[in-house]
Amino acid sequence: MSLLRIEGLSLAIHDYAILHDVSLTVAPGQIVGVIGESGSGKSMTALTVMQLLPEGAQATGRVMLDGQDVLQLSEADLCGMRGRVMGMVFQEPMTALNPIQTIGDQVAETILVHDRVSRAEARERARQALARVELPEDRFPLTRYPHELSGGQRQRVVIAMAIALRPRLLIADEPTTALDVTTQAQILKLLKRLVQEDGMGLLMISHDLAVVADMADQLVIMRHGRVVESGPSPDLFHRMQHPYSKALLAASTHQPDRAAQPQEVPLLEVRGVIRDYVTARKGIWGKPGTFRAVDDVSFRIRRGESLGLVGESGCGKSTLTRAILGLEEVQAGEILLDSQPVFTGHKPNRAVRRRMQVVFQDPYGSFNPRHRVERLITEPFHLLNAPPQGAARDAAIAEALESVGLTADDRHKYIHEFSGGQRQRIAIARALIIKPDLIILDEAVSALDVSIRAQILDLLADLGDRLGLTYLFISHDLSVVRQVTDRVLVMQAGRIVEQGETAEIFDAPAHPYTKQLLSATPRLPDITDA
Amino acid sequence: MSGGGLIRAALTNRSLVVGLVLSLVFVGAALISFIWVPQDVTALDIANKIKPPSAAHPLGTDHFGRDILSMIMVGARTSIAVAVVAVVIGMGLGVPLGLAAAARRGSLLDEVIMRGNDLVFAFPSLLIAIMITAVFGPSALNAIIAIGIFNIPVFARLTRGAALSLWTRDYVLAARVAGKGAVRISAEHILPNVTNLLIVQGTIQFSLGILAEAALSYVGLGAQPPIPSWGRMLADSQTMISLAPHMAIFPGLAILLTVLGLNLMGDGLRDLFDPRIRRDRR
Repeated sequence: MSLLRIEGLSLAIHDYAILHDVSLTVAPGQIVGVIGESGSGKSMTALTVMQLLPEGAQATGRVMLDGQDVLQLSEADLCGMRGRVMGMVFQEPMTALNPIQTIGDQVAETILVHDRVSRAEARERARQALARVELPEDRFPLTRYPHELSGGQRQRVVIAMAIALRPRLLIADEPTTALDVTTQAQILKLLKRLVQEDGMGLLMISHDLAVVADMADQLVIMRHGRVVESGPSPDLFHRMQHPYSKALLAASTHQPDRAAQPQEVPLLEVRGVIRDYVTARKGIWGKPGTFRAVDDVSFRIRRGESLGLVGESGCGKSTLTRAILGLEEVQAGEILLDSQPVFTGHKPNRAVRRRMQVVFQDPYGSFNPRHRVERLITEPFHLLNAPPQGAARDAAIAEALESVGLTADDRHKYIHEFSGGQRQRIAIARALIIKPDLIILDEAVSALDVSIRAQILDLLADLGDRLGLTYLFISHDLSVVRQVTDRVLVMQAGRIVEQGETAEIFDAPAHPYTKQLLSATPRLPDITDA
Repeated sequence: MSGGGLIRAALTNRSLVVGLVLSLVFVGAALISFIWVPQDVTALDIANKIKPPSAAHPLGTDHFGRDILSMIMVGARTSIAVAVVAVVIGMGLGVPLGLAAAARRGSLLDEVIMRGNDLVFAFPSLLIAIMITAVFGPSALNAIIAIGIFNIPVFARLTRGAALSLWTRDYVLAARVAGKGAVRISAEHILPNVTNLLIVQGTIQFSLGILAEAALSYVGLGAQPPIPSWGRMLADSQTMISLAPHMAIFPGLAILLTVLGLNLMGDGLRDLFDPRIRRDRR
């Protein structure tokens, strides 16, 4: 007897077809992973089950939950079911909680909405729910506010709200995407335990094949609103039939070919860098404190090398990047590019700066929406004393765009006319246009779908070989770092705790933190059939 | 969005269309008054004083027998001129101050600018206007200066607030990586992305300027006779309100409809520029 059975579900929003003939089942105590890239309809499938669809949505087919078709139920009946029969965990724990309510009140609220119980009783049950998600009251009193908790702890509160009434079905939409890898591992373990204890069904939605592969009993692979393949989890990886599933798996483990060998000449040298931030003063007369974001960091990058920098959020990666780029002054130590300091006196050194460029994570936020592509990518020309004019400028624009796989005609377009992957290509074109030696990739592929990510990684490898570029590859995603770097630095709380050849670090980590990071990284099952 | 799409969206936005029509009626009246008015507004005709609306005087006459329609048309000039120049003063000084404060957020400069703004905000605006006119004498020019000063902190705050969030964008970081300085980034990346907000706020400040000019001339500190002004027409009518209500109603309506039109236009423009609101309204 299945708990949730979706049969032939089709969905259109304002006559635009979103889902086509989607079918899947979830049994009690079963974890079903739905995988797909952006636009595959995986989140819309979840919202259809919850009946939280946007205005103008038309669903046909059957969504049987506990013997009732939720598509036929009235809004009043649905309100009774949401939270009680089906719970939901969202991606972003920062916005899923009300910042001005205590965590105890928020969990108790779910209970009060559905059950006629006293406030005291609801609080008691909220206490139990929070204890079940490993937020015991003695360490996390119910009177805490969301801002007093870390991202992972907030996600636990969100889960506590979802499971407070012991629903039969839990839907988790990218529950760990916004979290660091070690926190992700803990949350996944927690979800697995709750499923076992309560015997509830879990529909888990993710873009990350590895995360779901570890967790799920059943896998459903979606693309363009259709289910392309489904089956029991570990087996499916070995018997994948559909070309898209195979391509998705290949892209997830994609290893770009790199030919160039790093030379034994250091390009960038970072010596004993310290970066302190002044924190807000306590009270009007209090002394401002300092926070050491980067603590005595030293390393070097050889010319032609690809160096990885890994660490969890808040470890000082971005601060270090800004220091290397000469955007912020450091309090101690020096940063040299080809033996030239990036900061001379209190001024950034333009001669050095024009040899470094950066590509950011967010393909949507890194461009001014009001400028055309040609203006966007020629921005670094500002660093040159004699920027190319006229025909030379046109040639540089065309060359940069063509080297990243776009056409010269794209220069007249605005940024909103491009997809996320294309925008990231434009970001790379902007970095390339002044022919830098060093490109810093700050989570440059983290926001991209796996198939697009594979293309961008190939592009970077190809450009590196052709133009002799050196990369500093900053990422929280260890699997990507493993695929594209020669050496890797592991950063924790402002310090480099371990560095060495990528293969050595991944195979034999020495520092406990590195070991912890590696063991927390979700892994795809080994499908190399011997 | 393409230009055609923007115009089509503008035409389907009811408050924008109504606001635009109302505003254009009064701007048109002011412009026409330069070449033609029904009657000379300086000519007194005591024999025909406080006449209700008639064919010769569509909106009636005042206590000196002047044609009210003509006075409203010429008065629109004063109101619009004062409000426009006051908004230009407010934007011209307020926007650069706001951009500078945002570019150097947290610095002494930011503190000085924003605390200066607080100071101007904290003063009752009409009181300052009265002080200025008391010192320099009542005139339309002094009304413009007084109203303009109070527009500065409005625009400075708005610009700073919007600019602060823009400064955290990656494209600003990219511009800094390209070695651009704060002034250049403010001009190239920050200002173009706050113009929508400024246009909307400008429309609203424009309507507030008309109200403020009316209030100043009502107390006799705005444009001086014989230049007609809506606020003074109201002031002149108040002793005769039961005898000749048309003397109060028509200038009052002129103020009300202009302010309403400008506010509707501001609302409509905000909807037009904010795709999120536009979608919700559909």
